[in-house]
Amino acid sequence: MPPIIHTEKLSKTFAGHKKQIVEAVRAIDLDVAEGEIFGLLGPNGAGKTTTMRMLCTLLVPTGGRATVTGLDLVTQAGEIRERIGYVGQKGGLEPVATGRENLMLHAQLYRLSKAEAARRVDSVIERLNLGSFADRKAETYSGGQKRIFDLASGVINRPQLLFLDEPTTGLDPQSRARVWEEVRALHAQKTTIFVTTHYLEEADALCDRVAIVDLGKIVALGSPAELKQQIAGDIVTLGFNDETELSAASALLQSQPLIRERHQSGATLQLYVDRGDEALPEIMRILGQGHRPPKTIHLSRPSLDDVFLKLTGHTLRKSESE
Amino acid sequence: MRDIYLIMTNEIRVTFRNPFWIFHGLVQPVIYLLLFGPLLNGVAGTRGFPSANAIQFFAPGLLIMNALFSAGFVGFSLQDKVDCGFLERLRVTPVSRLALALGLIFVSSIELVIQSTVLVLCALLFGLQFDLFGVLLLVVLILLIGVAMASTSFTLALITREGGMLAGVTNTFVLPLLILSGVMLPISFGPPLIQVLARFDPFLYAVNAARALINGSVLDPSVGIAFLVFAALSLVTLAVFIRGMREAVA
Repeated sequence: MPPIIHTEKLSKTFAGHKKQIVEAVRAIDLDVAEGEIFGLLGPNGAGKTTTMRMLCTLLVPTGGRATVTGLDLVTQAGEIRERIGYVGQKGGLEPVATGRENLMLHAQLYRLSKAEAARRVDSVIERLNLGSFADRKAETYSGGQKRIFDLASGVINRPQLLFLDEPTTGLDPQSRARVWEEVRALHAQKTTIFVTTHYLEEADALCDRVAIVDLGKIVALGSPAELKQQIAGDIVTLGFNDETELSAASALLQSQPLIRERHQSGATLQLYVDRGDEALPEIMRILGQGHRPPKTIHLSRPSLDDVFLKLTGHTLRKSESE
Repeated sequence: MRDIYLIMTNEIRVTFRNPFWIFHGLVQPVIYLLLFGPLLNGVAGTRGFPSANAIQFFAPGLLIMNALFSAGFVGFSLQDKVDCGFLERLRVTPVSRLALALGLIFVSSIELVIQSTVLVLCALLFGLQFDLFGVLLLVVLILLIGVAMASTSFTLALITREGGMLAGVTNTFVLPLLILSGVMLPISFGPPLIQVLARFDPFLYAVNAARALINGSVLDPSVGIAFLVFAALSLVTLAVFIRGMREAVA
C-alpha cells in the first residue's frame, strides 16, 4: 500500500527580520502509512506546525515535493482538501455562531446539500455526544467543549487523513482523555491520524510511530519503543541546590566508567548508566566521599523526553520556556 | 457561487447578531448628522460657503465619509477571524478563495447600503432635498468606494496580522483622506498648499460628486471623475485582496 503522506526534501523558508532567511523546515523526508497514528514531536519553533500546515495545504512549500492521499501537494491542493480534515491549534469556530451552525457551514463547504449536511451534522453531534450545548454560541463553550467541537468540525467530511495540531494543549485532564478517546475511535475506523504534540507521555501511549523534530529537521523516527531502546540502560537523575554544587558533583563523577553520559539542565544532572541498581550505590558513595551529596535522587527507565534530550542536547520542557 | 452564498449568509448572521454593530454601524453616522450638522448651520452663512443650506452640503459628504470609515475598518473583523482560527478552518475546506474574498466584500457592501439608507432617511428630517436618480447613482458610487476601501482594509489586515498595527496604518491614511476631501469644511477655505494636496485625494472628487448628485447634477464633471477613479481603485484593490486570500498565511 502506498504511503498516505510521502515527502521528499520538503522545505519551507520564510523571509525573516532584516531580510534574514529563516529555515523553518529543512528537507524533511517522511512516509506515513495508511491507518497509523503518527506523531510529530518537538519543542515550539522546531518546525512541527509549519510541516503540518504545508501538508494540509495551508502553506506552500518552498522546496522539495510531497504527496498527500496520493495527490501532489502543490498542483492538486483542491482535491487534497476534500479528503483531509484539520484541527488547528486555535480551533476555528466562529464564536458568535452556535456549534451546530459552525458545523453546518463547514459541511456545506464540503459540497454537501443542505439536507445532507443537516443529517451529517446531526450524526456527528450525536456520536460525539455534543447535543447538550450544540445550540449555544461557541463563545460560551469551555475549553474542552470547544475542542471536541473543533474535532467534530475536523471529521465532518469523513476524512481519510486527519491532522491535529496540538489537540490537547491547555486542556484539563478529563478533556484531554476525552479527546484521545475520540482519536482512538477514529483510528479504529481506519482514519489515519497525523498529530503534533509536546506531551511526550501522550505520544508514547498513543502513536504507532513518532518523528522527533528539532530546528526544522527530523532527528529521530520510529515507534516510541524503538526510540527508547536507543537509550539502553537506566537514567539516574540527581537534584542539587544550585549549579555550583552540581558542577562540583559532576566533576567528581567525571571519569567513572559506569556512567556513559551526563546531561545538565539547571540544577539537575542526568546520568545514563547501564544498570541503575548497581550504579546507584556507587554514585552515592562517590558523592558522599566528596561531600557533595545530592538533594534528591531518582532512578528511571528512559522516556521519550530522555530520547529527546539525548538527541538534541536540551529537554523539551526547557526549550519551550525559552 | 454557492460558496459565496454560504460565506455571505454566515457573515450576515454573525454581523447582525453582534449588538455592537447597531452602535458603530448605525448610531455613529447618525450622531455625526445630529451633532455636526447643527454646528455647520452656523457657518452656512459665511462668505465663500458654497451652499446656503448646511444639510445640503453636509449630508452628501457624510455619506462618503461613512463609506470611507465603515469600509475602511472592516479589516479588524478579518483579523478576528484569523485570530480565532476561523479563516484557517475555511481555508482547509475546498471553498474557493475567490468566494471567500467576494463573500466578505459583498457583506461589507450590504452593510454600507443599509447605513447609507438610514443616513439619507435621517437627513430628510433635517430638510434634505434630493434627486432620486442622482441618489441612486450616488449609491453605486458609494458601493465602489466601499469595495475599494474594504479590499484595502482586508489586505492590510492580512499583512499587518495584528490589531494595533492595523489601527495605526488605517488611521494614518484614512484621516488625511478625510480632511482633504472637504467633508467637514470646504477645501476652498484652505491655503494653496492644502488645495493642491487635496487634488490628489480621490475622496475630494467623491464628495463633490455626491453633492452634485444629491442635487441631480448628473453631468457635473466631478461625477465622471469620481466614478472613473473609484471604478479603477476598486478593481485594483479587489484584485490585490483576492491574491492575498490565495496566499494568505492565516
